[in-house]
Amino acid sequence: MEILAFVSFAVLVVAWLVAPTRGNIIVVSHAEESKAA
Amino acid sequence: MPNTISAGDTAWLLASAALVMLMTPALGFFYGGLVRRKNVLATIMHSFFILALISVQWVLWGYTLAFGPDHGGLIGGLDWLALRGVGQDPGPYAPTVPHEAYMVFQMMFAVITPALITGAFAERKRFKAFVIFTLLWATFVYDPVAHWVWGGGWLGQLGALDFAGGTVVHITSGVSALVAALVLGRRVGFGREAMDPHDATMTVLGASLLWFGWFGFNAGSAITAGGLAANAFVVTNTAAAMGALTWMTVSWLHKGAPSVLGAAAGAVAGLVAITPASGYVDVSASILIGLGAGVFCYTAIQLTKRLKVDDALDVFGVHGVGGAWGALATGIFATVAVNSGAKDGLLYGNPGQLGIQAIAVAASIVYSAVMTFVILKLIDVFVGLRVPESEEVLGLDASQHREAAYQI
Repeated sequence: MEILAFVSFAVLVVAWLVAPTRGNIIVVSHAEESKAA
Repeated sequence: MPNTISAGDTAWLLASAALVMLMTPALGFFYGGLVRRKNVLATIMHSFFILALISVQWVLWGYTLAFGPDHGGLIGGLDWLALRGVGQDPGPYAPTVPHEAYMVFQMMFAVITPALITGAFAERKRFKAFVIFTLLWATFVYDPVAHWVWGGGWLGQLGALDFAGGTVVHITSGVSALVAALVLGRRVGFGREAMDPHDATMTVLGASLLWFGWFGFNAGSAITAGGLAANAFVVTNTAAAMGALTWMTVSWLHKGAPSVLGAAAGAVAGLVAITPASGYVDVSASILIGLGAGVFCYTAIQLTKRLKVDDALDVFGVHGVGGAWGALATGIFATVAVNSGAKDGLLYGNPGQLGIQAIAVAASIVYSAVMTFVILKLIDVFVGLRVPESEEVLGLDASQHREAAYQI
């Protein structure tokens, strides 16, 4: 079972390395900054 | 009778009760961040109000129904009505702590369980209906199932293992949440307009406090301040961590970004799944249980969304599915090496335990689904479950409570 535990954690680490970042970027309005300007 | 009370055990149990108490307001903030800003107060109120309501219900009749002397394996007797006979001496369940300490620890479980359901009917339920539902549900669902498993009832006699509430807390609340979502119907605008969380930071803070309180939930369930509590603490933290990492990873692969809310929801899913197992499994098993929670709960939520079921805050996916996975995983990974007073699971040569766990899962699903349906239908006839559409559009903070969360 220890081997399965190590393997499952390793799978996650590999997934973080290969996972793509995609999709729409949410634009947040910076009300305070706008006010200051 | 010699005084067998242990100062260490009593201190640990009372501290654990306080930790579990904090979980219910924490749940309010977890849910409060996920709803739209016009409903945040009403959502937090659900949890806060239940903390008060069930605290009184429990001392008056809840505790005796759940833990009073057994009647036919189904329900506790009324011997301890209004806590008659529940005092500073130890009771039958925990020989080293005052009976009152055990009672108040169990009270906090009774409090948080109906609060979990509120996420399913958020943003549309009439406050009066919510109050009556909570009182009836605690009395006719939580108290009997707690008796079946922990109070000397038929599931406990059968040998079902549930260390801290996989069946009693999470399956009952998760399944009832699904029934509530189906009976109440979808929110106005569901599927047509965005219903994004209004404050993700509030949700992450709520999840963090839940994680903290869960140490009392699981490690406190050892009742004694010793090795079993330490093991429960370690596996609880590990499963929460693996749940967070796994959910975030699966959602990243699925949707293209590492979601902060996903990590928070995953931690809760891991905590749910390890709950029934925490006194019976070792740390390697807790990694696999957390991993399974992240995958199964995330998948279940995608399915309910595809079926257009408006379980507003994904209670069924996290608690129903996570609780069922945890209860079954207990039947797979349990080992007497961790808890000599328990039993081995499938992987340690006792496949029958998995069958017993499956019976406990099925019984709690069927009973809580049927009873919740009946309770909701009765309330709908006499009180009405939903607010009128105009009030739903206005928001429950204004329509139900005449208050606003933010003045900015």
